[in-house]
Amino acid sequence: MSGAPPATELSATEEKILGAYSELIEEVGTDDVSFRLIALRAGVGERTVFRYYPTRVDLLLATAAWIERTIFTRQESDSVFDVPLAIREAMEGYDRRPELAYVVAETAMRGVNGAEPAPHRERFDELLRSEVPTLGAGERTRIVAALCHLDSSATWVTMRRELGMSGRDIADAAHWAAEAILDPIRHRVG
Amino acid sequence: MDEAVDTQSAILMSATALLRQRTFEDISYLDLADAVSVSERTIYRRFPTRSHLLEALGRWIEAEHFPMQGFATPAEFRAAAQRRFRAFEAEPAYAFVAARGVSLSPIADGTESPITSAISAMVRGAAPTLNPRDALRVTATMRYFASPLFWARMRTGFDMNAEEVVAAFDAAMDSVLPTRPKANRAA
Repeated sequence: MSGAPPATELSATEEKILGAYSELIEEVGTDDVSFRLIALRAGVGERTVFRYYPTRVDLLLATAAWIERTIFTRQESDSVFDVPLAIREAMEGYDRRPELAYVVAETAMRGVNGAEPAPHRERFDELLRSEVPTLGAGERTRIVAALCHLDSSATWVTMRRELGMSGRDIADAAHWAAEAILDPIRHRVG
Repeated sequence: MDEAVDTQSAILMSATALLRQRTFEDISYLDLADAVSVSERTIYRRFPTRSHLLEALGRWIEAEHFPMQGFATPAEFRAAAQRRFRAFEAEPAYAFVAARGVSLSPIADGTESPITSAISAMVRGAAPTLNPRDALRVTATMRYFASPLFWARMRTGFDMNAEEVVAAFDAAMDSVLPTRPKANRAA
């Protein structure tokens, strides 16, 4: 099960394990959760958990990906100019489940294989190519990078912890920043 | 009290040194206890969980290894942030731990960091007529783009080198800086 985990096709057992761990993260945090407790909550044997996730890092990365996919879901944007709104909604989602938002943020910043620092990169790139075809590659990458950076639980975490902002203010600021990033290309659609 | 502060610093200093050889996950409390010549219990008393340790270590590394040069104007801010991105690139293992430390659920008391206060003052100085709400948005965005999180994402998500990170940061700042004349400010 190690290596590149499949994006969707998880077995029922894996779903149970990842769901159990994410519940426990909200109840007691990431640190104090033993594999035994996870197995118990998931209704599987401890050895089964180890078989799928040999180390704590494997389990954490898989759980973070699962949380992104199933809990912080949202509608896919049809246009890159819809992305600021999607970012606003994402921030509101993180604010409802703060403990899970922290886990996803920290996991993405590990700099190791399996961490997912820019999950929407391909989509944003594709939208920009089709909507603003005159953009040069460098400029396009920089806009995609800025939008990916904003469309992230780390935005919520940073604004919350560094500036003490409320969920509403964070959603508003992230939305505004994404609009500002898109401003220079707003009239270049073609 | 001084002695308490010293133990804390000694632990963080040893942890930082150990990061040269292995990842944060591979540093045990026992390793730290040995390195500092205290009991494992002492380490646990300071850092009850690994999250406590990671948060304190991230802050320590940011302060000790990546201090941001003082700035008063947007141009100085950009230059200081860019210099720091290059410093991250020179010590990537440290920079990733700094990025992870600031993305955790906060355990230490949430006092505003000096960089945040400095950006806030810089924005007020550069755009004194900006309303408080817009000033907060600008400050928050700049703070977030100047953080080790930005560097870490650009590096792992986009395979950017230091100069590419600097260029991406610059482009983002062009869009959000309040002093920059823009064609369409109202919107």
